[in-house]
Amino acid sequence: MAATPTTQNLPTVTAYELKLAWPLGAFFIVFFLAPLVLLFIVSLYTDTTMTHFGLTQYAKFLLDPFSLKVLGATLWLGVEVTALCLLLGFPLAYVYLRVPGWAQSVLILIVLLPLLTSVVVRTFAWIVILGRQGIINTALLELGLIDSPLRLLYTEGGVIVALAQVQMPLMVLPLITALTRIDPNLADASAALGAGAWRTFWKVTLPLTLPGVIAGCLLTYAAALSAFITQTLVGGGQMLFMPMYLYQQASTLNNWPFAAAISFIFLVAVFAVITVFNMLGKISQGYANA
Amino acid sequence: MNLTRRSLMTSALTLGAMQLFPGMSEAQAKRIVFATFTGSWEEAHRDVLVPAYRKATNGAEIVLDPMLSVDQIAKVTAARSNPPIDVMLHDPGPALVAIANDLTEPYPVDKSAYYKDLIAEAQEPNGPAGFFQVVGLTYNPDKIKTPPSSWQDLWKPEYKGKVGITNLNSTLGTGFLVEIARMNGGSEANIEPGFKALESLKPSLSAVAANPGQLATLFQQGQIDISPGNFNAIQIMKARGVAVEFVAPKEKAIAFKTTFHIVKNTQAKDLAFALIEAAISPEVQGKLMEAPYLVVPTNTKVKISGEVAKTLAKDHADMKNKFVFQDWKKINEQRSAWIERFNREIKV
Repeated sequence: MAATPTTQNLPTVTAYELKLAWPLGAFFIVFFLAPLVLLFIVSLYTDTTMTHFGLTQYAKFLLDPFSLKVLGATLWLGVEVTALCLLLGFPLAYVYLRVPGWAQSVLILIVLLPLLTSVVVRTFAWIVILGRQGIINTALLELGLIDSPLRLLYTEGGVIVALAQVQMPLMVLPLITALTRIDPNLADASAALGAGAWRTFWKVTLPLTLPGVIAGCLLTYAAALSAFITQTLVGGGQMLFMPMYLYQQASTLNNWPFAAAISFIFLVAVFAVITVFNMLGKISQGYANA
Repeated sequence: MNLTRRSLMTSALTLGAMQLFPGMSEAQAKRIVFATFTGSWEEAHRDVLVPAYRKATNGAEIVLDPMLSVDQIAKVTAARSNPPIDVMLHDPGPALVAIANDLTEPYPVDKSAYYKDLIAEAQEPNGPAGFFQVVGLTYNPDKIKTPPSSWQDLWKPEYKGKVGITNLNSTLGTGFLVEIARMNGGSEANIEPGFKALESLKPSLSAVAANPGQLATLFQQGQIDISPGNFNAIQIMKARGVAVEFVAPKEKAIAFKTTFHIVKNTQAKDLAFALIEAAISPEVQGKLMEAPYLVVPTNTKVKISGEVAKTLAKDHADMKNKFVFQDWKKINEQRSAWIERFNREIKV
């Protein structure tokens, strides 16, 4: 801010960019960074009445196998959801580029449609689909494939599928953007040089879409981990993931210091996973460019 | 740039001042904020309690701000000296937390016209109970032809895979655990038999709902056919056409006192008192007992009739035979350990 342009120096373009970032930066400092600092301070209290400082809350979490298991299960849930989104989303994005214009509009509408309804509504739809008298069970029963309804709701599988659907746009949109940017001539060139469809895909298309894949995976992963509503409604009260654990400590037990410590540990753990993922992405990108 | 920053600061300061001194904007109209519960409770209080309060105070202003007990405690704790709420409404567990944290004002019992008429269990000097919430068994009458009569019926083999419960985050879930402990020789102080019973209920469980509200959805979807449930929540579901019935188990239904508290440091103690007086008056309670509210009255001057008399208790003396009031002081002491244990052990 102090470095305002003098008469000798013409203003550089980058100086403007920094200034323009100020409103958002200030907004983040006041409404994100400051509360985060407060949260961290709360996590340093040893008792629920918040009178003594200490690291007991962190010790309590990190030395407790059960808490660590909840953390692990949550991080793993994110991986499963992200993998499923990628598996289902990539072909969709791939098809999108190969259909005529009108079909593209229809596809993009279908992809965006979930974003236009609330997460609660989308999740309730899954309760209707997965329930004992839901669409899947009724269909299977009528076809005579099963004798009694399967347990689909309140299972980890149910949570993964529901989360994957709810977060799908976050995966598909970056993928479509990345795929659109690839020069179609590259695939033709690869074919002209004798590569088959699979080889072209693995050697040309996939490496070039890696930035989109990474962006999509990061968005989906973060969203799946923190999806309190979907996790709770489809997973039920006995499946414990970090958001629910946090809620329980903060709301039911009024144990704010422990809840704050849980949030911080969760935050750091997610950061670690994302960093590892980013590094993997960079390494594979290097490989693709080589 | 300087000008922008200055004007920004000015508006920020103004906004901040309005937050710090809300009296500036609110001094003209003295009003109270009543934190009721969400859903049907808000509706009942808006329709019956608020008009009665207005009448008693010559039209004083009141704002209903429905929220969970825990949120009430959080908000008042965050601004003790100038609380954003004047009257709190609590389930027994949170009520004790609020009292222990010194968030409530003792109720001016001597000044009260109705306090002495309340059933003994509702006479709480830190905030009288305005109504009872009653928990019993709920079932789907289309699927279960013979109505259940005991908590024990949840373990019946024919309901295998059709039983729903909630976890201990709710008053309902915690109260249920205590009752099944009592049924098996335990108590608030000895919960072990309750956890043993839950363990043996596992094969029957179709769902462990994250909150009592979720049970309604589960009945509607046919995911469960029987569960512990709240009398008033069931009435709402019935009114919406869901096939569900309530029955009080022979071991006694669980009654939770729902208490009204004057918040410490409120700017309008008199008005807060007036609201609670209205809430425990026989006129308001009598009206709230009628359909569609069906709120269980605590004032013995109210003659119990209708659905409440039919399903729960025919008069206040009968309540003592039909209801069990749990010792939430004991429960609160151990609740965090119970929740932890439930987290670890109850995986379906």
